[in-house]
Order: sequence, then C-alpha cells, then structure tokens
Amino acid sequence: MALQLYVWGPALNLPSIDAECIAAIAYLSQTTSRADYHLIQSSPSAVPTHHLPALYNPSTRTWTSGFTSILRHLSQNPPPTFHDESASPSSSRTANLNFLLSHCPPLIALSLYVSSTNWSSTTRPAYSKILPMPLPWIEPSNVRAAMVQRAEHLGMSSLDTDAEAEKREAAEKASNAAGWISVPPALRKTTSEAMAPEFTRRIKLEKLARDVLDVIKDINLGDGDEGLRCLAFAYLSLMLVDEVPRKWLSETVRGKDEYRDLVRFVVRFRDDVFAGKDLPWMRDEDSESALGVGRRFLDGAICEVPVLGSEWRRRSAGRRKRKMLEDRGLRAEELEDDRDGTLLAGAGATVLALGLGVFFYRRLPPFGAAVQVWRASPVLGFGGLGAAGAMLSSVFAPSTARY
Amino acid sequence: MSPRTGPSNSFPNCHHLSHRLFGMSQTITKTHDVSIPDFFSAKTSYFIRITFATIQSIPNNKTTRTAMTTTATPSKPPASWALLQIPKPIQTLFNKFPLVTYPSNDLPLRTQLLNSSSLPTLYIFTTEPDALANLPSFNPTCLKWQTLLRLTRTPHRVLPSTNHASPTGSLPFLLPADSTSSPSKPIPASRITNHLSLALPPPPTAREETFLSLLTPIRNAFLYSLYLLPSYEELLNQFYIYPSTSSSLVQKTLRYQLRSAAAASILQSKNLHPDGGKEQIDEKEIFEEVREALEALAGELLQSRTEWFFGRERPGEFDAGVFGYLWLMLVYMGGGLGQVVREVGGGVLERFCRRIAEECGWDL
Repeated sequence: MALQLYVWGPALNLPSIDAECIAAIAYLSQTTSRADYHLIQSSPSAVPTHHLPALYNPSTRTWTSGFTSILRHLSQNPPPTFHDESASPSSSRTANLNFLLSHCPPLIALSLYVSSTNWSSTTRPAYSKILPMPLPWIEPSNVRAAMVQRAEHLGMSSLDTDAEAEKREAAEKASNAAGWISVPPALRKTTSEAMAPEFTRRIKLEKLARDVLDVIKDINLGDGDEGLRCLAFAYLSLMLVDEVPRKWLSETVRGKDEYRDLVRFVVRFRDDVFAGKDLPWMRDEDSESALGVGRRFLDGAICEVPVLGSEWRRRSAGRRKRKMLEDRGLRAEELEDDRDGTLLAGAGATVLALGLGVFFYRRLPPFGAAVQVWRASPVLGFGGLGAAGAMLSSVFAPSTARY
Repeated sequence: MSPRTGPSNSFPNCHHLSHRLFGMSQTITKTHDVSIPDFFSAKTSYFIRITFATIQSIPNNKTTRTAMTTTATPSKPPASWALLQIPKPIQTLFNKFPLVTYPSNDLPLRTQLLNSSSLPTLYIFTTEPDALANLPSFNPTCLKWQTLLRLTRTPHRVLPSTNHASPTGSLPFLLPADSTSSPSKPIPASRITNHLSLALPPPPTAREETFLSLLTPIRNAFLYSLYLLPSYEELLNQFYIYPSTSSSLVQKTLRYQLRSAAAASILQSKNLHPDGGKEQIDEKEIFEEVREALEALAGELLQSRTEWFFGRERPGEFDAGVFGYLWLMLVYMGGGLGQVVREVGGGVLERFCRRIAEECGWDL
C-alpha cells in the first residue's frame, strides 16, 4: 500500500506553507515513484501525532512526524521504489541538518508569524485558504503561538505591533485612571515610534538573518545529500517569499552578493523538482467530512479555554498516543487511565453552576434600588371637605405606587 | 482618591456600597424615605452617610413628608468594583503611614563571606561540600562554565546558589573579585568570557557553528531523562527538589513545575505547541536523535588531529559545553544515556570526557 504523507496545504506559490512539509514533499517526490505515496492536505488536528508533516506507513502501521524522523523512517523501511544512495550518515550531515532545524525556524517565525503586518496580510489569509471552515478560527492562532515561542529568545517581540499596541493602551488606561495628565496620542509619537518596527529594527533583524545565512552559504548544497538539499530549499524558499508587505528577510537574502548562490540554488531546485510536475494529491474524506471538521473544531475550541485548555490538550495527547500504540497491537500500560469522562463531567458541572450563579445574580434587583417607594399622593379635590374629604381621598386614590 | 472625583461624585457609589453591605435586610423591609437634614451637605464625611444609610432601613416615625431622596439615586448598579472609590477619611488615615521609617539593618556578617572575596566567585548548582572541594556541578550549563574556568586556569571559587539569586534568573553567574573602588556587579554567563578575557580559541567557524547545534538533541535527551523519566525521579529530587524545600506539598508543586517546564522546552525546540506535555513528546525519536548527534560528535573527534574538537591545541568553549552534558550522563545515567555515550564511536567520547576531567584536576 502507498505511503500517506499528511502536510499543510499549498500556499505562497509553494507546495506547502510549512517548511518541514515542503522538505518532506520534495524528498518523497525525488526519491520515491509517484505510485508509492499520496499527499494529503491536512492540519495537525487531523493526525494522531498532532504535528505535520506526518507520514503514515500502512505496512508497518506507524505514524512518523517531523522531517528528520520521516527521513529516518524511510531509510529503515524503504518503500519498493525508494532510492537515495546519499543517505549515508556522516558527522557533517547530522550537524548540518540540526543547524537548519534549530536556526532557520526562528527567522521564518519572525518574518511570517511574529510580525503582525505580515501575519495579517499574508500568512493568516493563506492559512484560511487551505483550511475548511470553521478551522481557520482555531488552528492558525495555535501555529502562530508556537512560532512566536520559537522566536522568543531573539527578543524581537516588538514586531508584533498588535500586542504592543494592546500593552500601550492598557498602560494609557491605567495612567488615565490614576488621574495623570496625558499627552494626546497624536503628539506623543516620535518619528521612530511612528515607523514600523520592521524599519526601526532593520539592522538587528538583518544581523540575525546574516548570522544564519553565513553558515548556510558554507554548507555544501551540491548534488549528493538529498535530505539536506530538500530541507535547505524549504527554509530558503520561505525566506524568499515576496508576497509579504515587510520583506526584510527576502531583501536580506537577495541583497548580498555572498548569498547569490543560495538564491540560485532555490530557483534551480524549484525548476528541477516542482516545475511541470503534478504531485499525487489525495483527499482525506474522513477528516474533511462535516463531522470530522466539527470534531476538530470542538477539540481546538476546548484547548482555548483558559485553565481547562492545557489540561485537555495534555489528555488528548495521551489519548492519541495510546490509540497509536493500540493500532500497532501494542498495549500502553504505563500511560494513565482514561479519566476524561470525570474531567468532562466536572467541567460541565462547574460551567453549569457558574451559569446558574450568573443567572441568579442578574435576577436580583439592583443593589440599593428601593423595593417599595412611597410617593406624594395626587390631590384629588377632596381636601376642602376636611376629615371626611381625607377619608374619601383614601378610598378613591391609590396612595402607593409599586414598582 | 483621584483629584477629579469630588464628594458629590462619590455619593451614589457610597450609597451603593452601603446597600451592598446592608441591602439584604432592606430588600425585605420597606424603605421609609426621610427628608435630608440640612447638616447633610456635600461636605459631610462619608462615615455619617454610611450610618445614615443604614438607619434608613429602620422604620422611622419621624417621617413628616415623603420625598424622592432615595429613589433619586441612579437605579443602575456601578459597572464594576473598580469604580468604587476609596473613602476620603480612610485615604487620609492611610496616607499617614508609615509613621516612622527605620534605617535598614546591616547584612549579617557571614554574608560578607558570600558576596565578596579576593577571587571571582562562580555561583552554581552544587552542594556545600562539593563547592568547598570545587567538584563538578550537577547542572550542565553550570558545569560548562566551571570547566571552562578550570581549563583556562582562572583562579576562582565556587559557591552553591539557586536561580533566584541570579540577575538573569538562571545560574551560573559570576561575581567579580572585590575591588575597593566600586561594588562588584554580577556577570551573567553569556558575558563571562569577555569579562575575564579568558584565553580561548578564536570564535567558531561556520562548520563549528553547525556542530554547536548538535547540543540541542543532546540537551533534549538529557532533559527528557532527568525530568520526565520516572526512573530518574530520585536523581531529580536530590538535585533540585530536596535542597529547595522540606515541605512535601511544595516539593510536589516544584516537581510538577519543573517537569512541565522541561516538557515545554523540548516541545518548543521541535516547533510543537508547548502545552502538549509529556505525552506529545516521542520518546523513541528523542533517543534516536541523541544517538545520531553523539555519533556525529564521535566522528568529528575521531577526525580531529589533536585530542580536542576541530583540531584545536587546547580545549575551548565547545569542548566544555559537550563535556557539561556527557559527563553528567556518564556519571549519573550509567544505564541509559551514559551507556549510549560509552558505546558510540568505540568509546571515544568517554575517553574525551576523562581527558577533560583530568585537565580540570578532577580525579574521579
């Protein structure tokens, strides 16, 4: 049976939006004949490893995710038409692969995910296009959260102007509440503050990119090591994406003579591997059915609930792991018992109790409002009749008004 | 209280406060409106109003006229508690504090020993007796810098410490030797090399940079073994849990926190969502990757024309970094990762570690 490679869908003129997925597609298409594998456009929530690219091998009934794991799996369990003589492990090969895997994602993250301009105008719409509704409401933000974490150590969070603006507004509100006299917003910005952070921090960003590119340009990307070439192409092609409003990364790569070979490599690789070739895309009916999408959406939505979410995420990861092991006929004894039912019931009861509490609170009359109020009685003209008139007026006119 | 909110503003709020406090009885009894006496001007203190509001709920026979006083307050409750103002008298009362500020006490005499010395002091994770003998730390990063100082024959002393003491939030850090001119400031690990101007080999070339990234899978495997494998729980307790606290509840919490932090750190290095926890990590993959990385290191060492990495005459930062992890694996994880280190490349890595330890004067 043919291998099934689950990947993020195509975007930005590339076969996938994710670097490792691009690398895996390129690798399979170069080393394996078309009949031996299928590409399935998917998202992490549809595969049991919750990480793309994921390779399902029906003959061993195993799931493998991540590019290097897929390389390893293919060399250990090669499909019939597999041919990659270059995959002999050498010291530099391992080191180079590890270098690309650990240093390129933060750069891609800064350019496509952290920068709010690029995210909202290019990356997010691209994700929306490749995901069935309503998954674009859930999944892209998860990807972004993971990528922002990935680039956190570079200290470039100011590219995320949305988050910065939120922080500023909160500070402003606080100072207003404290009664400080504040400068009107229009007068407050200096020239550099009014500029996009991609411009003000351009030098630092370029330095970060050059630190990585200087190493990549010395890596031998000639014929020979197919896995390494595929991974390098994947990262470089994402760096060279021009469809973004803030092109600092692409301009850094293209702007220098030293990196001309890298750009040339990307162009040549794209022509060799992808030009005029149609890839064996296949549809995954199960996870794309309304029920499947609904389940994925619900799962993602629960993960977003503040405290409960991370616990749910952990539990569902355990459940998937157990299922994967059971599929292979193995028992997972060391994993915890399934206590999801209890968790769900507890969460449900809490939500119900909270809801009832809120409902009860809203039904209470506003605190401090008088329940019953005595008003001056309207004068009805019996006043002139003395005591008898007063008695009459109490008979004819209501003296209290209730509300 | 902010200057913009006068007493007239605060009236409805105070009224609501009083009703929130005493309102339950009031919802049962009927409100008898009273005319506001003249003394109840805007300047009247808040306390009187509160008292007044409470007695309002008591049936009052002195009511001579019905008025709209109570109902004149807005029937909407305040939007949130943040709108409640602090009553002025309470504010003025609390503004009087502190009444006296005493000058701060001098530090105990023994702290002189802890934070000043004629030698630079390296603060690391270690135990008191080990620190006295300058024995290797049990934390890979601390061990790296300790090794580097010893390899470069820099005179120094080590002291046990915790992350809370460090200006960067993580150990190690270095406190320079005492100088009379200025109080010494702590130096974080990243700047130790510059500060002590250690005689180190030149900065890494592109090829060496790629080998530096092999430390990521090694680190992941070390973290996974120590923090997430139940078989090393006792080791984790000895290293980080027992020295911190003796309360079992706090120990449990600390262990939980350390474990989720370790899992998040591993997941992050693999571009996975950091909330996935231990179940999201593929154990098989972690151990396959570390074996590949160690094989690559062994291969590089075998190719080197000297005893150290990249054909250097003297061991440098890279050697110290590798030693930091491998030594701990060899010493504490003999059955698991230590076994892998021993097997790979015909034991070349183990021999490398022994050479470094010898250079450092650790006869273990």
